[in-house]
Amino acid sequence: MFEIEQGENGEIIFVGRLDAAQAEKAQSFLDSVAAPSVLDFARLDYISSAGLGSLLRTQKRLMATGGGLKLINVNDHIGNVFRFSGFDQIFEIESGGG
Amino acid sequence: MNKKFERKIASLDSIFAFTEGFFASEVIDSEHLFAVNFAVEELFTNMVKYNRDHGQEILLDVSRSGDELTVRLTDFNVDPFDVTKAPPVDVASPLEDRKIGGLGLHLVPRIVDSLDYEYIDRESRITFTKRIG
Repeated sequence: MFEIEQGENGEIIFVGRLDAAQAEKAQSFLDSVAAPSVLDFARLDYISSAGLGSLLRTQKRLMATGGGLKLINVNDHIGNVFRFSGFDQIFEIESGGG
Repeated sequence: MNKKFERKIASLDSIFAFTEGFFASEVIDSEHLFAVNFAVEELFTNMVKYNRDHGQEILLDVSRSGDELTVRLTDFNVDPFDVTKAPPVDVASPLEDRKIGGLGLHLVPRIVDSLDYEYIDRESRITFTKRIG
């Protein structure tokens, strides 16, 4: 299960499991993001390289126009994947523990 | 415990149900499930991508010996593809130089404790271990 919700303060909330079967759904949504945005991962349990690819593609596009994605409430498992991927150097990330 | 899965990305849901079932039956801390699912997904989807039109199912086998899990994926009647020799990814390069793709096989050895590849009788066998103690 993977869902995308809009938060009260304009943040984008990813929920569930962003695996290769769901990456197209995530990419379709992220392609519609036109301005720097906050992605809340508090309810995102899992991400694989397919999801990382969607984030990277979006970050490249947004940073080319002057702003990028900020990732908040990133759990420890996903934080490790980001660190091993070097994503901690190319995204602004706030840990959420857990 | 083992099971064959159709070689399509949509099999991931049933693969995760299988690994979660194994963790539940063995009463293994779900803290370790992320790494196991991550490695299985990356290795399985790699098999699917490189032999998409191949009709054969992929065998997933999970076993436990004390505080160590051993997971093996077997792909039948395929050409060799040694995942332990995947091209390196420069994760320190700046955003503009980063390429989409290739990260999965870079990450798997960093998340599991061992990763081995065998090619015997046209079978690709990928085995990884993960400590759960």
